[in-house]
Amino acid sequence: MSDAKAENPFLVQLRVIGALVLRETKVTFGAVQLGYMWAILEPVLGTAILTLVFSFVTRHPPIGTSFPLFFATGIITFQFYQKLSSSLMTVFEGNRGLMAYPLVKETDVVIARFTLITATYLFVYIVFFSALIVFGLAEFPANLGVVLLAVASVALLGLGAGLTNAVIYLLWPTWARVEAIITRPMFFLSGVFFIPDAFPPHIRYILSWNPMLHGIDWFRTGYYPHYKSATLDVPYLLFYVMILLVIAFSSERLFRKHQK
Amino acid sequence: MIGFRGVRKTYKMSGVRKVILDGLSLDLPGDKNIAILGQNGAGKSTLMRLIAGAELPDAGRIMRYAKVSWPLGFGGGFNGTMSGVENARFVARMYGEDPDEVISYVEEFSELGPSMRLPIKTYSSGMRARLAFGVSMAIEFKYYLIDEITAVGDARFKKKCNEVFEEKLKDSNILMISHSNEMLRRYCQSGCVLHQGHLYYYEDISDAIDMHNHLQNQ
Repeated sequence: MSDAKAENPFLVQLRVIGALVLRETKVTFGAVQLGYMWAILEPVLGTAILTLVFSFVTRHPPIGTSFPLFFATGIITFQFYQKLSSSLMTVFEGNRGLMAYPLVKETDVVIARFTLITATYLFVYIVFFSALIVFGLAEFPANLGVVLLAVASVALLGLGAGLTNAVIYLLWPTWARVEAIITRPMFFLSGVFFIPDAFPPHIRYILSWNPMLHGIDWFRTGYYPHYKSATLDVPYLLFYVMILLVIAFSSERLFRKHQK
Repeated sequence: MIGFRGVRKTYKMSGVRKVILDGLSLDLPGDKNIAILGQNGAGKSTLMRLIAGAELPDAGRIMRYAKVSWPLGFGGGFNGTMSGVENARFVARMYGEDPDEVISYVEEFSELGPSMRLPIKTYSSGMRARLAFGVSMAIEFKYYLIDEITAVGDARFKKKCNEVFEEKLKDSNILMISHSNEMLRRYCQSGCVLHQGHLYYYEDISDAIDMHNHLQNQ
């Protein structure tokens, strides 16, 4: 028998999170036939529809020559953020039963779900962009390092937003509906199918408050060899992410008693 | 040993504040089986969840110097869409035990047969309880927390549960809530009475039961 005192608490925590990730995978993808396929199909369909619509409206995408590549950089990145922010909102409710296990801490279920979603989307990114490259619709990213940094910042932005949502939802369940309404325009304001520099300065200024706009713009700056954005403000994005994470984790700590 | 340091726990329900523990400081000895007594609604189950760490105190600290189980017989952590095997595997992984060993123990003990591979939501409450009991017995703890375990299954299965239990008691201790004084006397040497926010510890289980009866007859 292993004594609780003798075990390294950090290793115990890692083990618990590992078990939670595997459990979460089972719960998320196990019940649906071809569960993992859907995760891939969603951005594929989204990109296909936008490509179809926009190739009728205009001749060239805002950057480069490939419509699928331009929309894919926007859609997958946006869906990744949105998935985190909405799935994490219900993370405590969905795992309330688990709290009876003394080993499971609130932050563990958050980290487990975050890990699974991030792993899923990294997989989606790799599969999707590999396919585009194979079919000659895209080049390999010009600066992979920048692309990965952009993905990491979007991941942390989603974590901060999702956990903040989760805490508000805990105190006020109607928040789930309100949040859905408030954030609906986000898809149209985050530069999924446009680049911010195409707008006049006063509109650009308003758009630039949205951190996701910078996330997607940063991703494209890394992916395209010659794309430069006058709107992109990386320090703003990183500062926003940091503040949001501090708010998220401290409010979780503050209101933890409401759930256990 | 389980130590309480200034532990306060209150509940607010429809505007009425109920005090479960009012600044409790106490050490429960680690080498005794202890009964927890108290009137209905005094907060015995809450106290047990506090000890398990499934619930947090409003103030103060609870120190566990040994591996404490979750409140036993509890199956709320099971996921309905996952099978018995998958749920058992999750708990095994979490506690760092060999999943295959735990699964075969649970299969053997719970006698669920092929149902072990079906989603839990298809289980009857009796099957669920057998799975939950099997999983808790498969993991080694120093303290088992038992909240009103109503033995599950037929007489033969009850006997099996009791045998496993007696076996466990050789190396482990229990904290038990039960309305049956007979159960308490059989398993516990000491007892605590939870009354109006205070917890009173008695070396001798008989004293605890007497005190409990006295309070109930007031």
